[in-house]
Amino acid sequence: MLELRAVTKKYGHKTALNALSLDIQPAEFVVIFGPAGAGKSTTLNLIAGITDPTSGEIMLNGHPMNRVAPENRNMSMVFENYALYSHLSVFENLAFPLRARGMGTPEVKQKVAEIATILQITPFLERKPGFLSGGQRQRVALGRALVRDADVYLLDEPISHLDAKLRHRMRGELKALCQRKEAIVVHVTHDYREAMSLSHRMVVINKGHLMQFGTPDEIYHTPANEFVASFVGEPPMSFIDTRYAQYQGRVALLVSGTETQPVHLPVNGQAAEFLGRAQPKTLRVGVRASDISIERSASAKHDIPAEVYVVETLGHRDIITVKIGAHLVKVVAAPGMNLHVKDTVWVNIGPETYHLFGDEKAIAHPTGKRKPAPVAAPEGV
Amino acid sequence: MQTSKITVGMVLRHALMLLVLMIFLFPIYWMLVTSFKPAQEVLTRPPTFVFEPTFDNYRYAFEQADFTLFIRNTVVIAGLSTLLVISFGSLASYSFARYNPGDGHILFFILTTRMMPGIAVVMPFFLIFRDLGKTTFGQLFALGLDQIGALVVAYTVFNLPFAIWLMYSFFQDIPTELEHSARLDGYNRLQVFLRVVLPLAAPGIAVTAIFSLMFAWNEFLFGYILTRDAARTITVGVSGFQTQQGILWGPLAAAAVVCILPMLGVALVLQRYMVRGLTFGAVRG
Repeated sequence: MLELRAVTKKYGHKTALNALSLDIQPAEFVVIFGPAGAGKSTTLNLIAGITDPTSGEIMLNGHPMNRVAPENRNMSMVFENYALYSHLSVFENLAFPLRARGMGTPEVKQKVAEIATILQITPFLERKPGFLSGGQRQRVALGRALVRDADVYLLDEPISHLDAKLRHRMRGELKALCQRKEAIVVHVTHDYREAMSLSHRMVVINKGHLMQFGTPDEIYHTPANEFVASFVGEPPMSFIDTRYAQYQGRVALLVSGTETQPVHLPVNGQAAEFLGRAQPKTLRVGVRASDISIERSASAKHDIPAEVYVVETLGHRDIITVKIGAHLVKVVAAPGMNLHVKDTVWVNIGPETYHLFGDEKAIAHPTGKRKPAPVAAPEGV
Repeated sequence: MQTSKITVGMVLRHALMLLVLMIFLFPIYWMLVTSFKPAQEVLTRPPTFVFEPTFDNYRYAFEQADFTLFIRNTVVIAGLSTLLVISFGSLASYSFARYNPGDGHILFFILTTRMMPGIAVVMPFFLIFRDLGKTTFGQLFALGLDQIGALVVAYTVFNLPFAIWLMYSFFQDIPTELEHSARLDGYNRLQVFLRVVLPLAAPGIAVTAIFSLMFAWNEFLFGYILTRDAARTITVGVSGFQTQQGILWGPLAAAAVVCILPMLGVALVLQRYMVRGLTFGAVRG
């Protein structure tokens, strides 16, 4: 088990990582996910022992690691900029970590051949890294990390430089390869698909702070706050500023900026009760593009008027950005609606699709989708 | 479209280049010619261009003036001092590049030792080696006057700052990730330095070694002041043909040819490597 206990890293006055605590189970594949400058690579470097934490403790299988040199941690790492030894051939690069452990030549050859076959780099074994393409170099870097048996594999954006097709294939290969290793894998990426598809659990961090640590399901369906909600998902979640209001004798949410021609979002169940009790001043409603729909004409379901702002055609579906009041909301629509900018459409945002956020924190999530949310104050909206 | 037409500008340009080339190469040509001239034709006016070549001057330089010893001394001194410069210099410059001790002040201080001319320190050096030669330590390492060890130390001291600065930029250009990667691959600091850092810095180290070698080979002042006979170097040997009876131009030219040939060879063979090495630090890609 790999544990981070309130690990903080400061560079001068700048805090790169703030009291990060994680417990990573044996053979778990954990993806650290966040925007640039979030502290993803810093976390990896701290685990690897390349940099020392300012405070906090890193434990591996119950042993404190803070004072253990990188070469004695039995961890293996892929660096974002490959870090290949340019004076050595691809074969020697792959053999480098094996030779450090005094492995005999026949075994080295066998291990290198195995990993080279999996990563499809056998034809380049005699070449120097300088004569390889970016994708080939990245595969060599991956091979050098995976060629030996380590307790922990640290992968810093290991497949981000591959082209889309190869990346897709490598994603599968990587998952299978790591499953076979039965070791802890900590993988850093800024690609949410990669994060979702590879991980057992995801760590979402931003500006050095832990935003959420949970399974991809939890992260997607019950994001802990607006940051996680907006960062996970394609297209990103849309947010609508609302106010608590009474509408036709019932609790409702008035969309901010629509006071002249009020647009109300209905609320039902426990959430209405909660809102009636707490009466919060402001609330933000988050909706995923795939959870809402639009029609050309109004109906009982499609009762919120909106104006088409942007139309993005993706082939199998269109992504329509509509304006509700001053808020831009993305909607997934089937192709063939033939919409144009400034057209009026009617939107269906059901209360069952809301993610409610107050003061940046999640208050409620839609129920019935997946597991119940641990952060939800009232169950169900 | 490209044409092969010869223009006036091209002719002028080539003529100018030829002129400049002749100005620069003439002394070397004259030295070479003089070294093969019989003694009576060396100083004739007008100078002779056609003559019967002779090896007398070379014979004189090696048999009468003991040039074999001078060459041997110079090879040993230049080689040893270069070895020391590279050994100490690579460790020092690597430390400066990675750990920056003294926040750049020590690095700058090292450079300042090169700001005074050699003549300013030659007397202190003379006194130091005169006294050092009388000690057991000095005798053990041949550090007295007219001993090889003294010149090795003097050249090392003089070359080290320059070498540190030159190699410093090469080490700085090696991404630290490579070292981190090697650490994680299971190698300790020293192994990483020897197996990853040094091979990657090889072009820089080669350039530094060549410069160090050239300095030691061509150095005159220290060699002249600190040696008498036994440790005499080749440049001092060449100057020895200025005798009280006059200058022995023929043997002097022959000795000078022998003196410049090895470094000329090194420069020609490693020319491309050197240029690449010197620009290695500036543009990487």
